[in-house]
Amino acid sequence: MSFLKRITPPDQWIVPVTLVCGLMAGLGFYVLRVSNAVSYLSDDPKACINCHVMTPEYITWDHSSHQSVTVCNDCHVPHNNVVNKYYFKAMDGLYHASIYTMRMEPQTITMREPSQHVVQNNCIRCHMDQVTDAKMSAWVENHEQNRTSRACWECHRETPHGRVKSLAAIGAFIEPLSVRQQQKEFVPDWIKQQLKSSK
Amino acid sequence: MASIKKRHVLLFFATAVAAFLLSLLANSIISRKTESKFAYQPMVQLADNEPRNQVWGENFPRQYQSFLKTKDTTFQSYQGGSKMVDMLDKDPRLVILWAGYAFSKEYNAPRGHYYAVDDIRNILRTGAPTGPGTGPMPSTCWTCKSPDVPRLMNEIGIDEFYSGKWADKGSEVVNAIGCADCHNPETMSLRITRPALIEAFEAMGKDINESSHQEMRSLVCAQCHVEYYFNKDLPGKEGVPYLVFPWRDGMTVEAMEGYYDEINFSDWTHAVSKAPMLKAQHPGYEIYSTGIHAKRGVSCADCHMPYTSEGGQKFTDHHIQSPLNNVTNSCQVCHRQDKEDLVADVYTRQQKIGENMEKLEKVLVRLHLEAGKAWELGASEENMKEILQDIRHAQWRWDYAVASHGASFHSPVEVGRVVSSAMEVAEEGRLKLARLLATLGFNQELPYPDISTKAKAQQLMGIDRAALEKEKEEFKKNIIPKWLEEAKKREENMGMKKAVSMK
Repeated sequence: MSFLKRITPPDQWIVPVTLVCGLMAGLGFYVLRVSNAVSYLSDDPKACINCHVMTPEYITWDHSSHQSVTVCNDCHVPHNNVVNKYYFKAMDGLYHASIYTMRMEPQTITMREPSQHVVQNNCIRCHMDQVTDAKMSAWVENHEQNRTSRACWECHRETPHGRVKSLAAIGAFIEPLSVRQQQKEFVPDWIKQQLKSSK
Repeated sequence: MASIKKRHVLLFFATAVAAFLLSLLANSIISRKTESKFAYQPMVQLADNEPRNQVWGENFPRQYQSFLKTKDTTFQSYQGGSKMVDMLDKDPRLVILWAGYAFSKEYNAPRGHYYAVDDIRNILRTGAPTGPGTGPMPSTCWTCKSPDVPRLMNEIGIDEFYSGKWADKGSEVVNAIGCADCHNPETMSLRITRPALIEAFEAMGKDINESSHQEMRSLVCAQCHVEYYFNKDLPGKEGVPYLVFPWRDGMTVEAMEGYYDEINFSDWTHAVSKAPMLKAQHPGYEIYSTGIHAKRGVSCADCHMPYTSEGGQKFTDHHIQSPLNNVTNSCQVCHRQDKEDLVADVYTRQQKIGENMEKLEKVLVRLHLEAGKAWELGASEENMKEILQDIRHAQWRWDYAVASHGASFHSPVEVGRVVSSAMEVAEEGRLKLARLLATLGFNQELPYPDISTKAKAQQLMGIDRAALEKEKEEFKKNIIPKWLEEAKKREENMGMKKAVSMK
């Protein structure tokens, strides 16, 4: 008896079983929809604040010098190949989702070991010119070891999220639009109308 | 009917558990989404043109708390700071230069925005109104003092706002310069709320909406920190002292002077020399625009409201003040030198410009008094015409260079040039005057007056300060409490809308 045969219900059961399966599938899609699951396939930083516990990270990044050149994924997922990128993202995402659903999120979110490696590699990926210097390697003793034996943020502690990012440290999330989406209209309508009518 | 086996029962329960867990997950997602409606949400909903700064402060505690520091009046630098300095006391020559104009009654170095409304009520220049329709100053004087201004302009109309006396709107304008003056309450982006700046851009053939965000960080300041005049002859608005920036031909001292000459405008006629004078208000933006920092794209906010951080959040410090009180966050962001070094550089510029400024003021004092002497000896209008024009131009240039307080740092080379050109015009005038006085039979030096103190200078110009102060006290006692009471009643009805609702 093949597997398919074994799970196919007898004729008189087909209708109710299909109904139940459809119900379950529908419920599954509903969960995907309310959780805004599709957004996690994108690189949009707004996807990371679907869960409001990430808001402090979002706000601190939005106020940093990295805001205009990076999004969350530029640093927090690997970029060596696309499969690895999505695999890492999925694992991280599922971990986040589980912790969040069980309401176990800490007051201050910190990176776990695998994430630290990913971020460190991404620092180097963009800042290659700043962290390698052939001249220095040639005449400074232990230069390479000194350079590679610690994480960038051991010194650059404020980059990019600052040092205070607990859930309670952040005020209201009302940000001026970032420069990229700045409004292009600086004159309120009432002034425009009055100046027009008085001409 | 098939017989129910054990595995069917199991299957039923397994399905039920799966469905139960899925629903639980859906419910959890929905409830956490609802939470986010409340987490990090603003406290209140801001109405368009909400004038009360403390209401904005509910949503933006950091910005508001730093804005409140503009209360602080302890910092004093070589030439400015937040301390209120009696400028007539410091430099009694000003009393002579502005004789016949309210500025000779009282003129103080400015302090923080927090005091904008208090100070305009207290200054002797605004006189002592006894009720609506009285007092020397027009309603237009309120324009730069408060976020109540855009509110009121929106309610009663721009022309109506500019009409009438200063005292007419005393109960309407009570909140000091603040949030709504520069911010859009919905997006928090910068915005322009004063029509005069928009119109000035139009007059120059520019559209202010084309500005970049960085330019806006200066333009919100340029709504007020600029040269302006009240035009009473605008077609269709005759009689209304309409606020205009004289930028049609450009922002340089010569461009504005030419513009004023062309429309034949003068602020007042000098009490001694009878010259048709111009009062430069505070062309801060115009002069800054000619300086090196403007050229490099540095905005007003970059130095006067630099970024700071608190609780891990970077934000713009709304303690608008002299950068010299905050060198670390302003100058040293770009300049690596020691604080002392940087401050010394600023002071050197101010001192060097100041040296010539003083010489120029002395020449201007002499000009006014010698012109007065010429009138005394029976000079004719015809004799005096060119001389008075020289006096007008020389003092306009001096005032343009000195009135914005920060000019000699913002653009030292331009200010140096303006002072020299004023000196040249002034000396021309004195030559003409010397010849005229000689033909009138007066061929000697007119002694320089004793104006070593403010009191002596004001006495010489016939200003009865005691009487002015007495009137002011009456006004403070009788009128201001009424204004405040009316304002309080109005604001009680404004209410405050909570931002978060379960809708």
